Amino acid sequence: MIDKQLFKIDGAGSILKKLAGLEILQAFFIVGQALALASVLSKLWAGQPLDWLLLITFAACFIARQLISTLRDSMLEKYSGRVAEELRQQLLNKVFRDGQALVQKQGTGSLITMSLDGVDEVRQYIKLIYSKVLTMMIVPVLIFVGMLFLSWTSAVILLVMYPLIVLFMIILGHAAQDRAIKQFGNFQVLSNNFIDSLRGIDTLKYLGLSKRYSKSIFNLSEGFRKKTMAVLKVAMLSTFALDFFTTLSIAIIAVFLGFDLMNGKIALFPALGILILAPDYFLPIRDFAGDFHATLNGKNAFKRINELINLPEEKTNDLPLKTWSAQDQLKIKNLKFTYQKGTEIGPVSLQVQGFKKIGIIGMSGSGKTSLINLLSGFLTPDQAQIELQGQKTTTMNIPAWQRQMTYIPQEPYVFTKSLRENIAFYNPQASDDEIKQAIHIMGLDALLNDLPNGLDTVIGRGKRVLSGGQSQRIALARAFLDPKRKIMIFDEPTAHLDIETEIDLKKRMMPLMQNKLVFFATHRLHWLKEMDYILVMDHGQLVEQGSYEQLQQNQGYFCKLMAGMRGENNDQ
Amino acid sequence: MINKIPVLRALKNDRWVRPYLEKYRKTLILAIALGILTFVCGGGLMFCAGYLISRSAAKPENILLIYVPIVLTRAFGITRPAVRYFERLVSHNWVLKMTSKFRQQLYDSLERDATIFNSKYQLGNILGLLSDDVSHIQNFYLRTIFPMFVAWGLYAIIVIGLGIISPLMGIWMLILFFLIIFAIPIWSVLINGARQSYEKTVQDKLYVDLTDNVMGVDDWILSGRSKEYLALHVNDQDKFLQINAKMKKFDRWRDFVLQIFWVLVIVSLVIWGAARFGGRSTYYTNWIAAFALALFPTVEAFASLPTAAQETNIYKDSLKRLNNLPAPDQTKHKPIKLTAPFNLVLTDVHYAYPQTNKEVLHGINLNIHDGEKIAILGRSGAGKSTLAALLRGDRVPTKGRVTLNGIDTSKFGDQMSNYFSIINQTPYLFNTTIANNLRLGNEDATDEQLWDVLRRVGLAEMVQKLTDGLDTKVDEAGLRFSGGERHRLALARILLKNTPIVLLDEPTVGLDPITEQAVINMFIKELSGKTLIWITHHLQGIDQMDQVIFIEDGQINMQGTPEKLWQTEPRYRELKKADLGL
Repeated sequence: MIDKQLFKIDGAGSILKKLAGLEILQAFFIVGQALALASVLSKLWAGQPLDWLLLITFAACFIARQLISTLRDSMLEKYSGRVAEELRQQLLNKVFRDGQALVQKQGTGSLITMSLDGVDEVRQYIKLIYSKVLTMMIVPVLIFVGMLFLSWTSAVILLVMYPLIVLFMIILGHAAQDRAIKQFGNFQVLSNNFIDSLRGIDTLKYLGLSKRYSKSIFNLSEGFRKKTMAVLKVAMLSTFALDFFTTLSIAIIAVFLGFDLMNGKIALFPALGILILAPDYFLPIRDFAGDFHATLNGKNAFKRINELINLPEEKTNDLPLKTWSAQDQLKIKNLKFTYQKGTEIGPVSLQVQGFKKIGIIGMSGSGKTSLINLLSGFLTPDQAQIELQGQKTTTMNIPAWQRQMTYIPQEPYVFTKSLRENIAFYNPQASDDEIKQAIHIMGLDALLNDLPNGLDTVIGRGKRVLSGGQSQRIALARAFLDPKRKIMIFDEPTAHLDIETEIDLKKRMMPLMQNKLVFFATHRLHWLKEMDYILVMDHGQLVEQGSYEQLQQNQGYFCKLMAGMRGENNDQ
Repeated sequence: MINKIPVLRALKNDRWVRPYLEKYRKTLILAIALGILTFVCGGGLMFCAGYLISRSAAKPENILLIYVPIVLTRAFGITRPAVRYFERLVSHNWVLKMTSKFRQQLYDSLERDATIFNSKYQLGNILGLLSDDVSHIQNFYLRTIFPMFVAWGLYAIIVIGLGIISPLMGIWMLILFFLIIFAIPIWSVLINGARQSYEKTVQDKLYVDLTDNVMGVDDWILSGRSKEYLALHVNDQDKFLQINAKMKKFDRWRDFVLQIFWVLVIVSLVIWGAARFGGRSTYYTNWIAAFALALFPTVEAFASLPTAAQETNIYKDSLKRLNNLPAPDQTKHKPIKLTAPFNLVLTDVHYAYPQTNKEVLHGINLNIHDGEKIAILGRSGAGKSTLAALLRGDRVPTKGRVTLNGIDTSKFGDQMSNYFSIINQTPYLFNTTIANNLRLGNEDATDEQLWDVLRRVGLAEMVQKLTDGLDTKVDEAGLRFSGGERHRLALARILLKNTPIVLLDEPTVGLDPITEQAVINMFIKELSGKTLIWITHHLQGIDQMDQVIFIEDGQINMQGTPEKLWQTEPRYRELKKADLGL
């Protein structure tokens, strides 16, 4: 129920002590409030005039109790906020240090959900655990002690009821849980089904079925409602049990006290005291039961975030590299990588010297992107003997390598920032003139003219979505503004563009590649002739390498691939 | 004053909450009655217990004298949880019933513009929001509307009950509870409502920022600026925490004020009891404890009201969004019956999107004859997809006409699906069995027919290998199938539908050239004899078409057979060569 990890957090001990102190104080005020009221009422019953002092004491205790809970909430709010923020910070640090390697393994969606919703759930979890659980452990105990002094028999009856409540809740809770879990599956099916229908609504319309489908959405929902109600009938039994035993206990105690009073075994004052205390005695467990499910989510999120933070760091190698020059060499021998699902890449061996344009070609799934990720250091090879500028390494995850690298994927990311910030991303000091020049050279003038606030217009997701070609141009403009980066890595930059845009972009890209070391993965054939050297991938293997002419002479897989891609063997 | 409460403003001219309150009135009244009864039983239990103890303390000689309070105490003790249990079942049932209607209404609203959905709403964004909205409205019912009604009911009972015994006390309670039920929640909405809106803006920005930057994490790392972003994030986060802390502080003290009013209620009851029943020891003094204790358990009905009221600020956006959706489509289209040959004719077609002046298409003239294969090319944004929507009649030209056998395509409505099918970039496969997905094309198709089309698209072998065969579920959104296979399944569906005209809207983007070529070959082979309109982004497979048109700046700038274009258009030759890698 409670994560021990939670108490290892900085400051947990001190807040725990303070909160426990407040809870004890609160319990005293609860007892005080009950005693004062019982005393006022019993005096009135006896026909005495209203005891104002006692009535004020009651009100004062009541207010003090509320004040304490206000104070407690305020303390917890601050503490849980701080802890959650620290957790988020650690997580973000991790994400922004390991980058692509972590994102690929965990998925962007999961990382974002964890650092936003997950952290919020943890905050709730901490608040609940520290307030409700602590209250449940301290307040009923002290109230029980108070009741012992009033009437030990009644106190014992109430004590016996407590585990009974817990027991029934657990039994009924378990019965409900199995059905609830099944139902949760149903729920997901339904909500997926609903979203599914919405997503496919255009397909339904194209097929002329959309109007009729409306009825089936309703019927499906109704079916779900009936099933849900069947489960709720069981699931709510556990709350019913809790309610039933608490109110019944109070009723029993009242009747029991009534008999004792009749027999003169007890006076009115302690009897009233017990009656007033009884609901407060049960209150903490009722509060906790209501929030029990919320704690489960928080607990899981807390565990998951801690796992993420504690993942082993990606291996980096802090080699001191010079800026890549015409004499520099990269030698790779027996580079191998295996995905968790078992797909193998390699062994890959290759040698590069100076400023070369190296094409990487192959069908989808042949390992082009994996090779690109290994070369750029986003993935760490299982094994490799790499020699870079004469220095040995087993990974390309080298900060000094990445500092001189430009990486342009199929769909470059455009930040929700101004056009200026987006283009000057790698060189924030660039002047407006330089930025405008980059825009002009990359053919973004039309976009700039279209933007209401020029360079300061915010673009990107949710603001102004750019076309694939425009995103590519932005990425190229970024590269153009940072010419110190001598290594360029492209991953199918034009695969999804229309042919005219592609040809236009090619004209703008070729000058950028001058005097650079370029790795260029593509399956668009016209690029290959521009390459100095070509790596041919098939099923994760590097099956051929050489210049375009050499490969043509070889009449090997490369030629077959080219023919297939041109659609020359139409018989298949 | 009322106009300052956002949710009430949002509820004016509302189609999503009020009609359903009307429609399911009976269940709602039952649920509220049970809700009130729950608290009456809770109060009754303490009332009877208080009386019972006081009466017993007087040591009555006969146990029968306290028999009635004993029975009542027990009865209330048992009734309360039972009533509460039923109340929860009834209210959940009520909400779920409405959710079914909601979903249907939401679907109907979106159905109207389904085909131009993507360009209008940005599908991914809106779907998440809308399904959240449905659960927000659920909460609005369960956490705001319902407790509010229950509180009002209790309010009436308390004021009237005490008012009958003592009018002055009735009026005093009227005032005190008015403050608790109306003044504090409204105060809370007014003060914290603005903060909450601001907090939401800051939070949304934070979410957007974080998502944005995690998606672009590579660029941050490569640019060596990660630290910069982290600092920026901390800064924004601080802003959010500050406003959040302010809100929470207000919440805490507001709840505290509410409790002060509550203790005032209790103290008033004690003083009133002392004045009315006390003074000397009589039978009547037994009532003092009963009245003083009776209201204790009902505090739960009132304490949650301010938070519930404040939460409406979150729901108002959902309400607004839902109410801004178009009303379901009610137009009836005249039945149209066409016979072959089917000829599509575009005469001087102009189109500008609603609320814009810029024309996307100006002056398109085109004849598409029965059985012709035509390819449409152009840069992204040149108006290819708009042209497709015009052809199917989903959009109406601002000037000029698009006709099928002389009838404007926009006049067809859903009947268009008998003549015209579409396969688009990401063919949608529903999360159900392969058979069900295929039968969307023709509900009456036999298993043999299904196998036949599967064979024709080259998937029969693969489906045979699956353990459940035709009854295998395609995983969510068809992810189980690779790009090429999804296109094949979509084609199989279209083959079952068997319409004379098929439009392919860039169906092969993102496929590698070999898969792409295979898919194109299959399309052309299996759809032979039909009119084929193929919107494409490059020239792979173009030679198998009868006619090729290029759209640039909203006009046709190259048109002809592939051979003719190759011979006469240098631009076409350049593109074609590039595509072949020559």
